[in-house]
Amino acid sequence: MEPLTWTGNVGDFLNPIFWIAAVILLVSVIAQIILSFFAEEMTLQANPDGTLMRRGGLFGLVERLTKYSFFAVVLIVLAYIILGVVLPYGSVGIVGNMAKQFTPVWLALIATFALSITFKRSLGLYGKLFDSTVGMIGFGLVMFWVFTAGFAGMFDMLATHDPLQQISGLKNKLPGVPLPEGVEGYPHYLLGGDNLARDVFSRMVYGSVIVIAIAPLATVFAFMVGITLGLPAGYYGGRLDTILSFLANLILAFPVILLFYLLVTPEIVATGIPTFMATVLFIFPLVFFGVLINSRYHTQPTQRTIMLAVVLGVLGLLYLSLISQEGTVFNFMPAALDLFDISSGILVVFVSVVFVNSPTVFRIVRGLALDLRTRDYVAAAQTRGESSWYVMLWEILPNARGPLIVDFCLRIGYTTILLGTLGFFGLGLPPESPDWGSTINEGRKLLLIFVHPALPPALALLSLVLGLNLLADGLREESLKD
Amino acid sequence: MTPETQSRIHPAALTYAEDEKTGKLSRREFLARTTALGLTSAAAYGLIGLDAPAHAGGHAQQGGTMRMQMEVRALKDIRATDWTQMAFVYAGWLEYLVEYNSDGSFNPMLLESWDVNDDATVYTLKLRQGVKWNNGDDFTADDVARVITDWCDKSAEGNSMAGRFAVLIDPATEKAIDGAIQVVDTHTVQLNLPASDITLIAGMADYPAAIYHSGFDGENPLNDQVGTGPYLSESHEVGVKSVLVRNEGHDWWGYAAGKGGFLDRIEYIDYGTDPSAWVAAAAADEIDMIYETVGDFVEVFNGIGWEESAVASAATIVIRPNQVAEVNGMQPYANKKVRQAIAMACNNAVCLELGYANQGEVARNQHVGPMHPAWADVPALPYDPAKALEMITEEGMADFEFEITSIDDDWRRNTTDAVAAQLRDAGFNVKRTIIPGSTFWNDWTKYPFSSTNWNHRPLDTQILGLAYRSGEAWNEAAFANAEFDALLAEANSIADADARREVMAKLQGIMTDEGVTLQPYWRTVYRHAKPGFTGWDMHIAYLPQIYKIGVAT
Amino acid sequence: MGLFILRRLGVMILTALCLTFIVFWLTNLYPNLEKLAKTQGNFRMSDEAVTSYLTNRGYTQSLPVKYGQWLGVLPGWEIEGSDGELRRRCEEGQNYCGVLQGYWGYSTVFKEDVSKIIATRLALTGKLMFWVLMVMVPGALIIGILAGMREGSKLDRSLSTFSIMTTATPEYVSGVVLIAVFATPLFGMQYFKGTATSAMDDANFQNFFLPVITIALYGMGYIARMTRASMTEVMTAQYIRTARLKGVKFRTIVIKHALRNALIAPFTVIMLQIPWLLNGVVIVETLFNYKGFGWTLVQAASNNDIELLLGVSVVSVFVVLLTQLISDIGYVFLNPRIRIS
Repeated sequence: MEPLTWTGNVGDFLNPIFWIAAVILLVSVIAQIILSFFAEEMTLQANPDGTLMRRGGLFGLVERLTKYSFFAVVLIVLAYIILGVVLPYGSVGIVGNMAKQFTPVWLALIATFALSITFKRSLGLYGKLFDSTVGMIGFGLVMFWVFTAGFAGMFDMLATHDPLQQISGLKNKLPGVPLPEGVEGYPHYLLGGDNLARDVFSRMVYGSVIVIAIAPLATVFAFMVGITLGLPAGYYGGRLDTILSFLANLILAFPVILLFYLLVTPEIVATGIPTFMATVLFIFPLVFFGVLINSRYHTQPTQRTIMLAVVLGVLGLLYLSLISQEGTVFNFMPAALDLFDISSGILVVFVSVVFVNSPTVFRIVRGLALDLRTRDYVAAAQTRGESSWYVMLWEILPNARGPLIVDFCLRIGYTTILLGTLGFFGLGLPPESPDWGSTINEGRKLLLIFVHPALPPALALLSLVLGLNLLADGLREESLKD
Repeated sequence: MTPETQSRIHPAALTYAEDEKTGKLSRREFLARTTALGLTSAAAYGLIGLDAPAHAGGHAQQGGTMRMQMEVRALKDIRATDWTQMAFVYAGWLEYLVEYNSDGSFNPMLLESWDVNDDATVYTLKLRQGVKWNNGDDFTADDVARVITDWCDKSAEGNSMAGRFAVLIDPATEKAIDGAIQVVDTHTVQLNLPASDITLIAGMADYPAAIYHSGFDGENPLNDQVGTGPYLSESHEVGVKSVLVRNEGHDWWGYAAGKGGFLDRIEYIDYGTDPSAWVAAAAADEIDMIYETVGDFVEVFNGIGWEESAVASAATIVIRPNQVAEVNGMQPYANKKVRQAIAMACNNAVCLELGYANQGEVARNQHVGPMHPAWADVPALPYDPAKALEMITEEGMADFEFEITSIDDDWRRNTTDAVAAQLRDAGFNVKRTIIPGSTFWNDWTKYPFSSTNWNHRPLDTQILGLAYRSGEAWNEAAFANAEFDALLAEANSIADADARREVMAKLQGIMTDEGVTLQPYWRTVYRHAKPGFTGWDMHIAYLPQIYKIGVAT
Repeated sequence: MGLFILRRLGVMILTALCLTFIVFWLTNLYPNLEKLAKTQGNFRMSDEAVTSYLTNRGYTQSLPVKYGQWLGVLPGWEIEGSDGELRRRCEEGQNYCGVLQGYWGYSTVFKEDVSKIIATRLALTGKLMFWVLMVMVPGALIIGILAGMREGSKLDRSLSTFSIMTTATPEYVSGVVLIAVFATPLFGMQYFKGTATSAMDDANFQNFFLPVITIALYGMGYIARMTRASMTEVMTAQYIRTARLKGVKFRTIVIKHALRNALIAPFTVIMLQIPWLLNGVVIVETLFNYKGFGWTLVQAASNNDIELLLGVSVVSVFVVLLTQLISDIGYVFLNPRIRIS
């Protein structure tokens, strides 16, 4: 087998065009920025014949150049991807083969966008997202990784090798290296081999599973904790508020890394403190949903009891299986009932991330509640004689959703960064884990000689967090238009 | 080298000389054996009709500065030293009785010569004349007797010398046996052993065996730097930098003896544990020398034009199951079949490739190797992953989760990862755990299945005694085998390596058959230096022979 | 105002007490003490040796007592060890020695007084932070103002994308990428050094640029976005509109009228950003091997160096709380609409 080049045969004619377009784009963007300091302000003027005036001269030229070269670059990138998917193996090099591997993701993305754009008028805030370019780009990036994680995690698709498989002879080999004679499997390591002769591409793909599974879930838990404590603190105020705010500030004053070092070391795990914390933190969703349902339906006791029993039953079982684990202080569940065990490493990381994020969410929710409790609809509900919890959960919370959703997106991004930080310091997650933080940390040790193992996970993490930020930006813009 | 007075030549040494000449013995083994019996290396070379190799310092100029990349650690009680990097600092002013060299020979330093009787029960140590402490005191037999007595204090926290001198310790008092350490005259000390032990001289050459003054501060050796050596510490910033400078007022005995002590100033600079930072520092001309070059970086440093020094050593890694460790209420590794299956599922050559970039020799899981004098050529278990899977399935362990623990460190971790991957390929259910360096050693002997690095030991029986004898503190495999213990005791009383080899063959056979441990390869250790220095060669056991380093003329 | 500051100080001290007690408790859990004993004594120490080591050095006393001794409200321990040696926490002739007496303890890893270590390391980090702020603050303000003065323009779009990019790039990603590009021969742009160890004694552009820019970039985006938001708000304000209608030159409007009011919000953000920089400092100091405060934190935490860790926490907690206080006070001073009674 020949080693693969980056773009294969197609690259022979596409590459020069791509580079020319890219250089033109870069130059024109820079020129545009510089020129914009000197250019006159653009004011829209209608010509007598009813057309609008277009900006002319040098500035206008540069502006058009930027537009066209940008389209050219996008087109060529699309060409790489589409040709890669369509043409047979090997003819479009590494880029094309990666595109081919991601075929299910492209299809899923196209389907999502097609459906969403068609029905965007009836999809509320989500639909409005498709009015904003920034929001769509962000959404696309995020969904790319969500689908990647989904296909890789649930169906074992996309990746070319097992993320832990080591193939002798491929240690630190450059991208596109073929497998040695006689070894079965996908014929190349698309992005090369890492320090232990594992496939960098497959590790990146599987890394997304861990990140996509932990980050949003941890953020959800942090929101549950933050909302359940923040609403009463803001709504009632007084001593409750003082105490809770003090505690939140206490946690916030802790340098995050010090906190992680104190919580995630094996010694502390051995004492069971993280398990205790999990027990406390994970009860909040139960409380939240319990109160949510009770406050709404307490006037219809039968319906309430049934709903409560179902929801709390399911959540309770999940909760108990989550905290009951072999080898820890809590190991009380009979094996038949214990649905799943989470490895203690992941649990600890999860708990720490929730713990660090909750106080910030608490502060945001508290601030919103403080602001919203003076609104008329709250007063109206109070006059109707609704319970305090009803007011908080069914009046204040829905009206605070805009900023909360935006913060939720940003916070997932922040949690992803935190997870990476943990991996970077070698804390928590199991060492062979392909998650991006750990792989970046692994890769950086040989960075000065071999760049290829560290860059893919770094760029993957970058693109996901960027996507979340853009998504949040788009959502913020659109929700402000309301 | 100064001519040493030689009272008598040990009878075994003459036999070895014959063996060497007829090719039955390699030169390294010959030197190791004869010098351990009290011959100077000059005399040993003489026995086989050769001149001792010229001293490396012959081409060095007096003066100059050397900057070495090295982890700078806090010093502690000398006897408790657990990192050779610490010894590199105090070796400036503290010296050893005997030094061990990479060619396998033992040379006297603060001793002038030593004698061992035929069954290795009486050691007579003759001190070098004219050695002075840098505070003006004379160096006498009392100093040596005092330090050896300290070595034998088993109750002292962290004193690892007690293990090397275990034979002299009274188990009841945990101190030296009365009368075992005897001062004969001002320059002679005699050790009377209750049982024969051939390893004491090797013990005296190890890195925690530096000889310190009576006014020594156990908590912090830097406080009162009284020693016999040529340097003093100017500054010592843990994790950052440590500087040794020539002790101008002190007339070191080594100057007259032509030992060296060339450099005026030695700087150890800590660049962390990340080798790529070392490359950057080397490229920026911030350092002259690497303490130890590891893995892929050997090639990198060769690439930037630095000189390489490589020594094939007996330093190694063992990945061992603990036979008494309980996992889920059972002792999975008490079963010999399971241990054998593990050994058969791993190809040691792959471990060497992926774990240590092929920089070493493949080993046979016996923890005794060709570099040891009495190594016997015993075959290893065959590599047969299919058979291995069959065996663990038979034993009902097909679903058992093998948790393999290692420290978080480049090559140890990589080798353990390679073992894990191979076991997985063979069809075992494997889980990997990595524990940070600071925590790993808390329970290192107790993990059910974990890896540990072991340093080079000159003699074949040393490591078996430390790590595999029943009930030893460092017996991390929890291996207890009466036959093995008896054979080991027998081997320890045979000074003659050929005679010992027969016993060693049996010992190595037991190691293999019992599947005691995986020990995939012997490491070759490397050091790199900027061109223009002499006497800096990598030492086989990382011993701090800094007095040999100089700037080339 | 005075009362406000006093109350904030009180809360600060209470917070610091609570936090140090938590750190104290976590570091004094037995497994951690065992780790400490083994790193200090010998890695391969027996359980009995560990116990005697800990007892001889006062670690097995009860937690509140130890904490009291560290604070200096209880007399320091004096223990005759099982090896016959008499050890004291305090120097001869002193009974109380704790933080209140100015004694911060002794680092077991570095074998030096904690106060001295923290002073040296903090100075080094101060140097790093100084340059980070010198790059980050002007950079962020310029980007924010340029982007905010004409909302929705191409310039705004490009600069906003840039700031979102930088906030989305954590230090360990940008550091890795920057080293890969600028410190390896791979891309032919090997202008800088991938290590900052030599910058501790002698910082120059070559060895200090990458660490500084790595931290600065991450913080820059956030401040720039805040500045932009504040700037756009000001630019749409009535008085600016009036000025523009009067025909004042755009440049004059921005510099003379808009800037001052637009900078109130960024000031608070910058102050609140400083504690976040601490995170970045730890990562960057590890990545570039620069031995400052962040590096000390990692060393202390991974070796369970109790008293050093406590010192580090006290300092970082005070940095966090102090910047909060300054940002509050500054906000009150700068913003004429807020008065605290």
